[in-house]
Amino acid sequence: MDIRKILKWCIAIILVTILAILYRTYNPNGNVYFPKCPFREFTGLKCPGCGSQRAVHYLLNFDIFNAIKENVILVLSIPYILTGLVFDSLKKPNENILKWRKILFGRKAIFVILSIIIAFWILRNIK
Amino acid sequence: MKKYFYTDGTNNYGPFTLDELKEKKISRETKIWFQELGEWKPAGEVSELTEIFKLVPPPITKTNLNYNSMENLNNQKPPKTWLVESILVTLFCCLPFGIAGIVNAAKVESRFYAGDIEGANRSSADAKKWTTISFWIGIAVGVIYLIVVIAGAASGY
Repeated sequence: MDIRKILKWCIAIILVTILAILYRTYNPNGNVYFPKCPFREFTGLKCPGCGSQRAVHYLLNFDIFNAIKENVILVLSIPYILTGLVFDSLKKPNENILKWRKILFGRKAIFVILSIIIAFWILRNIK
Repeated sequence: MKKYFYTDGTNNYGPFTLDELKEKKISRETKIWFQELGEWKPAGEVSELTEIFKLVPPPITKTNLNYNSMENLNNQKPPKTWLVESILVTLFCCLPFGIAGIVNAAKVESRFYAGDIEGANRSSADAKKWTTISFWIGIAVGVIYLIVVIAGAASGY
């Protein structure tokens, strides 16, 4: 690894740590310093990502119940995203991993995810 | 005058002078013999013949022609789809770019398993582009928002 790459990773880790401390300490709910969702500001409707910041706040405080209440998709996606990152980082995956990769992250899976996100988007606005 | 022979593996041809030999369609791999050489040698290794090959590009190593067959594709890793990153963008940036990224991820997958490796690579590059753009737009919007709020707080609102 060259120095620039190490530097990049250091900066990223420092930023993520600072953000994690901020999000753990402060509840974004009603706090002006946390960015608002532009989609919600303009339309008054919730987008699939609304509540993510609050959900992260609750997760960092180990309050899974409230995190799910704020944005269930975010909580559910965490194990999936971690699996995906591990699969992506493998340089030479074996046959078995490739098979699972195709099932979990293949074309069909992507369309299922897209449908879930869009269904969630509609449902959370009509409820 | 030095006399050269060449062989196609079954028949020997010759004797030729160097100029006559240059007229023949010999390649770097064609085996050559002349008296001082002792045994057959590839033409590419014979010093006085190297000038014939100066204008001929070196042979291409044969690529596997079955590369695109379905069985081989299942044993290969498709190009990066940027799916995970696109989902994160959708959940955190509130931007339609995240959805575009997910659609591009699906394109990478379907093109790759249809044997269109080049198309899959192109879609992968597209997905990367959109994910990166939306990531930075998300950061920029967040930072601008923070500056506006702090400026507002400082001026007494």
